[in-house]
Amino acid sequence: MQNNRFYVTVFLWTVVTFAVTCVAYAGHLEPFKAAPVPKNNPQTPEKIELGKKLFFDRRLSGDGTMSCASCHIPELAYTDGQDISLSYPTTKNWRNAQTLMNVAFFKNLFHDGRVKTLEDQALFPMMSAFEMNQNLDFLEEEIRQVPEYQEAFKQVFGGEPTRERIAMAIAAFERTLISVNAPYDRFVKGDNSALTEDARKGYVIFTGKGKCAVCHAGVTFSDDKFYALNIPENPVLLNDPRVTATMRFVAKVYHYNDYRNLKEDPGRYLITKDKRDWKAFRTPTLREVARTGPYMHNGVLATLDDVIDFFNRGGGKGNRFLKPLGLNEEEKKLLKTFLVEALTGEELKITYPEVP
Amino acid sequence: MAAGPVVKKIMDAYKGKVRLVIKNYPYKYRDYAHIAAEASLAAADQGKYWEMHDLLLKNSPKLDRMSLITYAKELGLDLKEFTAAIDNKKYAARIEKDLKLAVDMDLYSTPTYFINGRKVIGNRPYEYLKKIIDEELKNAKQ
Repeated sequence: MQNNRFYVTVFLWTVVTFAVTCVAYAGHLEPFKAAPVPKNNPQTPEKIELGKKLFFDRRLSGDGTMSCASCHIPELAYTDGQDISLSYPTTKNWRNAQTLMNVAFFKNLFHDGRVKTLEDQALFPMMSAFEMNQNLDFLEEEIRQVPEYQEAFKQVFGGEPTRERIAMAIAAFERTLISVNAPYDRFVKGDNSALTEDARKGYVIFTGKGKCAVCHAGVTFSDDKFYALNIPENPVLLNDPRVTATMRFVAKVYHYNDYRNLKEDPGRYLITKDKRDWKAFRTPTLREVARTGPYMHNGVLATLDDVIDFFNRGGGKGNRFLKPLGLNEEEKKLLKTFLVEALTGEELKITYPEVP
Repeated sequence: MAAGPVVKKIMDAYKGKVRLVIKNYPYKYRDYAHIAAEASLAAADQGKYWEMHDLLLKNSPKLDRMSLITYAKELGLDLKEFTAAIDNKKYAARIEKDLKLAVDMDLYSTPTYFINGRKVIGNRPYEYLKKIIDEELKNAKQ
């Protein structure tokens, strides 16, 4: 009897270990599927159009110079192509502007995951002193003075413009920014010819020796989780007093007591105050990755080659998650070919709105 | 990273191949941005644009009239001429014209570059602009 129990236990552990191994190394890669839409903010064409207008409207910034599109430029896969994002005039940002492509799939938003929905996310940059620097009470009154907006909000929401409805409309527009029909999607559905031989070899490295799919999984190629990879700081964080000021301001807002002496980006720690989250950032999507550089939360890695080298070295000094991969030059090249070739979707055409 | 050193490096590296046109975009919510832009053009009149540009950035936000005159003196400019230019708003209309052009083109960020029509917003490292310039020079030769 004792022996039987022993064997059963061993067997179960083997199954569990095997399952974990599959998740870890094969990844849960998925082809494209429809983006989730929250029940309390259903998509309608009118709402999406209103959100698009607001997305491009400079009224959303305090001095009328910045719109959402200032840092999320459609032609640059909704990034701004900078290492550190553009900022409100006379100030400096401290982190990289992420792509909005496929943002609808994420449950943790911003590099540090401080909010869970696009509706909550949209208001943050508007209020941020170093992004759009707008006062939301003032913004509501400004928007209410525009007859076209009054009419559109009435039609879409059955009422007046409010900050919540502004955010809901912008979120609806952002849920349309989807990278579709990438060669990878055709490949994973069985069309072997969708990828070149080199890209297919790169795929094998991506899911195998490169261990990329451990975290870059799912439909977005991101597990939506946080890891402290000890990414080097962008030198401007301490070299440019305006960037330092921004870092310390954010730390102060998040009640980090020693903010005046802060010399590095604490990442998700600012949100959770959990030591394990010190310098942790969310896994970014890899869809459209060829178009979304510079890379990492602070844009410190300029090219995909730099990124692959970083992971091949085993990540940043002292990190607990990564080990050197031992990829040779040829393997690094094949991996890059997969990233560039397989994950770039059809061009998302946009008609610029007429902002009232 | 400021735009000036990168632009100067480009102009050194591409002597005779690249023409630089600078348009002014003094930020509307800064008290001395406009007069500082005027001072840079007044200095340009005396062949010291970049020297004044560098001093303005170094000493910003101390850019009131008296400070500007001090910088002009530091650069050895003809003070009478310089002071007259900023007091008489010699370059104000030109700067207003630049501002109108920016608004008409829906441009609000500084620096914004146009390299043979290709728009680049925000500060960029030398290598980033070099790549575009090399492509444009290649296109121009074809």
